[in-house]
Amino acid sequence: MSQSTQPETDGTDDETGGIFTNWVDSAIANPKKVYRAMFATVAIFFLFTTLFPLYWLTMIAFSDGSRVSEGVGLLPTGFDPSSFIEIFQQVPFHLYMFNSLVFATLTTIFVLLIASLAGYAFGRLQFRGKRPMMLAVLVISFFPPAAFFIPLFQLFNQQISFLGITPPELYSTPGGVVIPLSAVFLPLAIFILTTFYGQIPDGLEDAARIEGTTRLGALFRVIIPLSAPGVATAGILTFIAVYNEFFFSFLMTGAAAQDWAPIVDGIISYRSQFQVRYDLMAAASIVAVLPVATLVVIAQEKIVSGLTSGALKE
Amino acid sequence: MATIELKHIRKEYGNDIAIEDLNLDIKDGEFVTLVGPSGCGKSTTIETIAGLTKPTSGTVSIGDRDVTRLPPKDRGIAMVFQNIALFPHKDVYDNISFGLQLRKFDEEEIDKRVEKAADTVQLNGMLDRMPSEMSGGQRQRVAIARAIVRQPDAFLMDEPLANLDAELRVHMRTQLQRIHDELDTTIVYVTHDQAQAMTMSDRIAVIDDGDLQQFAPPLECYNKPANLFVAGFIGSPAMNFIEGTLTADGFESDAGYIDVDFDTSTMDAAVGQEVVLGVRPEHVLPSESATGDVTAQIDTYTDVTEPMGKEIFVYLVTDQSATVDMEDPSASGQLLMSVGPAVDVGENDPLSVVFDKSNLHLFDADNETALAHGLSEPATVDTSEDTPASADD
Repeated sequence: MSQSTQPETDGTDDETGGIFTNWVDSAIANPKKVYRAMFATVAIFFLFTTLFPLYWLTMIAFSDGSRVSEGVGLLPTGFDPSSFIEIFQQVPFHLYMFNSLVFATLTTIFVLLIASLAGYAFGRLQFRGKRPMMLAVLVISFFPPAAFFIPLFQLFNQQISFLGITPPELYSTPGGVVIPLSAVFLPLAIFILTTFYGQIPDGLEDAARIEGTTRLGALFRVIIPLSAPGVATAGILTFIAVYNEFFFSFLMTGAAAQDWAPIVDGIISYRSQFQVRYDLMAAASIVAVLPVATLVVIAQEKIVSGLTSGALKE
Repeated sequence: MATIELKHIRKEYGNDIAIEDLNLDIKDGEFVTLVGPSGCGKSTTIETIAGLTKPTSGTVSIGDRDVTRLPPKDRGIAMVFQNIALFPHKDVYDNISFGLQLRKFDEEEIDKRVEKAADTVQLNGMLDRMPSEMSGGQRQRVAIARAIVRQPDAFLMDEPLANLDAELRVHMRTQLQRIHDELDTTIVYVTHDQAQAMTMSDRIAVIDDGDLQQFAPPLECYNKPANLFVAGFIGSPAMNFIEGTLTADGFESDAGYIDVDFDTSTMDAAVGQEVVLGVRPEHVLPSESATGDVTAQIDTYTDVTEPMGKEIFVYLVTDQSATVDMEDPSASGQLLMSVGPAVDVGENDPLSVVFDKSNLHLFDADNETALAHGLSEPATVDTSEDTPASADD
């Protein structure tokens, strides 16, 4: 229908319409054009809202420190890339980053290990009380982490003895951050891995066990490698969440790098009694993003390769 | 190489009994097939031997060892699965050598063994391929190579050919027999396909409903089925069953169309007892061509004919007006006859047939066990060739 009227409208457009009228007419004739336009609009909107802060951060970082208070627009005020070096000179920023990376790495290892065992049990074994236990895990993840904070802080800091056993002082050690954060991020990882491990055909596990592995051996040699995309997803989510985590990592550690202070402490320390070095803060933030960005780029390739190899087409 | 012995194996899943008091004694180097309909407990049995399932009670021995409580890896067995179960993330070499690597063999030995196993199943030159790049038959051969490379005491095969197409299945069937001849290792093979069971095994264990029905060489199961179930399950097409009563001078069918005279005095059954007469389709003969000791003529009409090439299946009805009960065709007087291709039969023609008395089977209708096999000396046939039961799919 629209096909036949098209030449006519085209003819009238030339006489009456401007660009906008022309576009509307051709969009009526070809609705796909509208969808494309809508997609472009939405995509640009999201890209802008996510990328613009990063752009502006970069502009602040490159501004001249003494002129930042004049305001920073779309271009840096002055130009001083030395901020990226100065951040390491003023405070040992690399140590703060190291601390955060240690928290993230340890937590990820912990979470993947425990969630793998839990995921194997929930995903592949039949036992009484499986559903209630899974629900309990889910319920635990509903609690705000802050709810655990005060008792944990007392436990780690004041070493309350329990049944005559006094725990070691975990305040200002990686343990004070890694243990509670592992507990907080476990439920999500357990649910992801349960789904993935549950999808591996029983025959593969049986074959591995006949060939000479234990159940645990089959988990590590066959089930986990075949669930690589799931393990990568759970691992990355945990890593990023812990690396970005503020509450526990800030409060369970001291303010100095040697007291296991995380990145956020490092950034705050560019604020002195007399001035706030926004340019250094911005530069430090950008540097802090790099490890996670690298990780995601590398792991994303792994995820994609894991998905496309069609491993389980049996 | 080893014997396998199951003693009083019982397996319950919740309230369901999968296996009830199963005893099997498999000899060293024997090819034994567990056969039965779906859900009869044959897979559970082989999983019990493998150690993938723990029996509720009973013992499993392989060789001289009681392995009931041992994990699968310590039982000295290898298994081939229905879904093949190659590790998709490993190439053919790693798949075959997986077990050897786990057992810390040195690399030279692994290389040598993998080479030899690949040779046996004709997989040379494919060792660096991934399973996803191979055809179904090739994958199945990798799975077999993975099993033989460890030189286990026994092979367990759970419907290994079920996922292959018909042509390949027949081919692999021969291959497996060849491998068995070559390695001379005990093989326990599970299938629901009685043709595979008949052609490959030294002995067949027919299982139904978690119970062992008969454990005997294939031809014995065929010629002397222990009970009604074995008689109906082994042989294709299936045996005709005619319900009737034992009389002083033989058998009288309930439907009244057939009587067989024989000496009932030696039989462990009383006159008047409900019995079932079994006759295989190839032992139903057109009366004009049959001589020897045959039954009295039975007047029938041909219903449907199925020419198979080397034989013709003829469905006979004793009463043309009766409708055939699909669930239980024998009860409504339907008989299946198998004749040679030379016999000229049309559809809906009257035809009188006889049974070869030497190949009749008599079963107790109550407990379904066999009372007698062969009710006289063999009958001879003039024209048509008496073809043995087809073992084809």
